[in-house]
Amino acid sequence: MLEIKNLHAVVAEEGNEILKGVDLTINKGEIHAIMGPNGSGKSTLSKVVAGHPAYEVTEGEVIYEGEDLLELEPDERAHKGIFLAFQYPVEVPGVTNSRLLREAYNTIAKEQGREELDPLQFEDYVKEKLELVNMKPELLERSVNAGFSGGEKKRNEIFQMAVLNPRLSFLDETDSGLDIDALKTVANGINSLAGEDKAIVLVTHYQRILEYVDPDAVHVMMDGKIAKSGDKQLAFKLEEEGYDWLEKEVQVNAQ
Amino acid sequence: MSNAVKENTILKDLLTYQTHLNGQSSLLEKIRKESAEKVKNTPFPTTRDEDWRFTNLKPLTRGGDFVPDQEESSEYDPSELEEYFIPESENTRLVFINGRFSTEYSSIDDLPEGTLIGNLAEFAAEDNKIVEEHLNQYAEYEEDIFTYFNGAFLDDGSMVYIPQDTKVESPIHILNFYTNSDQDFFTNPRTLVVADKFSKSTVIEEHIGLSDNRYLTVPVVELKLFEGANVKHLRIQRDSRQAIHISRPVAHVAQHSKYESYTITLGARLSRNDPKIVATDEEVDFTVDGLVLIDGDQIADTHSVMDHRQAHATSHQLHKCVINGEAHSVFNGKIFVRQGAQKIDSFQENRNLLLSRDGHVNTKPQLEIFADDVVCTHGATIGSFEDEELFYLKSRGLSGEKARELITYGFALETIENIEVDSIHQLLLKEVERYSKSHRDEPEAKPVA
Ligand SMILES: Nc1ncnc2c1ncn2[C@@H]1O[C@H](COP(=O)(O)OP(=O)(O)OP(=O)(O)O)[C@@H](O)[C@H]1O
Ligand SMILES: [Mg+2]
Repeated sequence: MLEIKNLHAVVAEEGNEILKGVDLTINKGEIHAIMGPNGSGKSTLSKVVAGHPAYEVTEGEVIYEGEDLLELEPDERAHKGIFLAFQYPVEVPGVTNSRLLREAYNTIAKEQGREELDPLQFEDYVKEKLELVNMKPELLERSVNAGFSGGEKKRNEIFQMAVLNPRLSFLDETDSGLDIDALKTVANGINSLAGEDKAIVLVTHYQRILEYVDPDAVHVMMDGKIAKSGDKQLAFKLEEEGYDWLEKEVQVNAQ
Repeated sequence: MSNAVKENTILKDLLTYQTHLNGQSSLLEKIRKESAEKVKNTPFPTTRDEDWRFTNLKPLTRGGDFVPDQEESSEYDPSELEEYFIPESENTRLVFINGRFSTEYSSIDDLPEGTLIGNLAEFAAEDNKIVEEHLNQYAEYEEDIFTYFNGAFLDDGSMVYIPQDTKVESPIHILNFYTNSDQDFFTNPRTLVVADKFSKSTVIEEHIGLSDNRYLTVPVVELKLFEGANVKHLRIQRDSRQAIHISRPVAHVAQHSKYESYTITLGARLSRNDPKIVATDEEVDFTVDGLVLIDGDQIADTHSVMDHRQAHATSHQLHKCVINGEAHSVFNGKIFVRQGAQKIDSFQENRNLLLSRDGHVNTKPQLEIFADDVVCTHGATIGSFEDEELFYLKSRGLSGEKARELITYGFALETIENIEVDSIHQLLLKEVERYSKSHRDEPEAKPVA
């Protein structure tokens, strides 16, 4: 479904290299977790896949369903089913959640040749999705993320994912800062949105979400590269022992 | 070695038209005479004056001469006017056509006892005590030739009096229409609102250009709020794109009164608005919010004064501007806190969203505080679209155009949210939507020097 090969990316403004040769293959039906220390490039990777203009790809490729993703604008990528749940969701004052989502849903539906929904139909459609993430209906009529608590923002990202029903989702630390109940709700949401023809990438610092969402693979990012890949056990080891051992291993390999 | 430029005498010259006015009220006659003297003795502003540094009056001084409106020359279709009437104000509507009171289109009925709403000139001719006591008492714009110019032509106008303990449920809708005309004309609308103790009312002051012709309008609005009075004042400026609109709305607010004004600036080639709120007593609460949506070659200048003369006042000013094309917005917001006026809580913010490369913003919030126990926050921002916000919306599938439209819409919305008159709220939503939709192109990048 997604194939990232030797991906190098720099900050467009100043040329500083952040991604230094990422290789990653994700197949349909899979859930992957990406872990790694602060500043290792996890968010940058997610944003480059979604098409953030702050980064320039200098080498390598990103192929999605056989198509060169790097050629597409962020909105065109969304039309093809790519979704990014932001680590820091953006506030859009004056624009209600429901307005944004209806606009987004109908744009994507139109691009994919599906039927658009009128406001009433959309209201019904959205109702079930709210329940899925246990979100208060009032939040629909509030400005996007404005004045939302940390937990509400994260939940809102999953809610948006539920409404837009993407095929490939990058969830950037959606589990951070959630209490245990919220974590379970979000995990439930993720599980019910996974599927045979879809794929999900969880960027996380903690293995606790992996107790509820079962990953097919766990990767560790260090200094702009995937330093190691493994199964769920890798996540446990990292949580217990930290990243030091892996850093040493990487250094030894480099020599 | 003086390089003095000859003073522009456009307003002084127009005084010759004073003879066109009727002389039924000795009060008005007196104010006109005194004001005319002041016009003669007050210099016409230039960009060398601090208050006019950023705003050049060329659109006023260059172009055809102005004449007083001759009713015969005005062209309009009556049904055109009716489109602007709102159902909330069926019986509380004052209509002026090019400054002349229209008995035909105005509709005043079913008012609570003692309430007066009507043509200022008529009340003045009847020696109305309220008019005698309050007219021309509050518009203190020192050395301002435009205020005097308005006084020199004082005639038809709006008069609103709300008696003590009275609530006027229907908003009072004052419609100033400006019609198409063979010749450029000038008008000087005057509005007097006296809100007696513990009264409650809403006044909508609208300026509507029916065509795209050039005219000059210089509205002066005086509001007096007595103890505990509550007045909401909505001002909607939809003048013609060639009009010059120079307005002076002033409110004197007494103890425990509450004044809220919202000024929406959409039209005119050049508009200059100098709202002034004077807290004459303790414990008042006032709002002077504004929204400016301009494009093309429009200039919109707001110079406001929030004058806290006594202690324990709360005041709020959120002034938002969206600028596209080569438009130019100017903001100068003065907050005065006079000596001894302690416990003032004042908020002021001017936020500008600049949509184009050639748009222009000058902003200057200004504090002059002579008391020590006050909280004044003020600030100004000028920004374009934020990359992170655009990317967020695009990542949800919205095109760049749609994303910019939504951000513009959302930005503007905040200043009209509190407007409670439904027809007006809907109207402004539509205006904001229309503006946002027509300005969603990507701003051209600045050429690299
Ligand atoms: N737009 C940018 N401009 C400058 N530096 C950037 C930019 N984006 C990312 N970086 C830098 O790139 C590095 C990787 O950042 P990134 O956000 O991808 O890390 P991360 O792995 O997601 O970290 P965290 O776990 O803290 O979220 C950091 O050093 C960061 O400061
Ligand atoms: Mg990150």
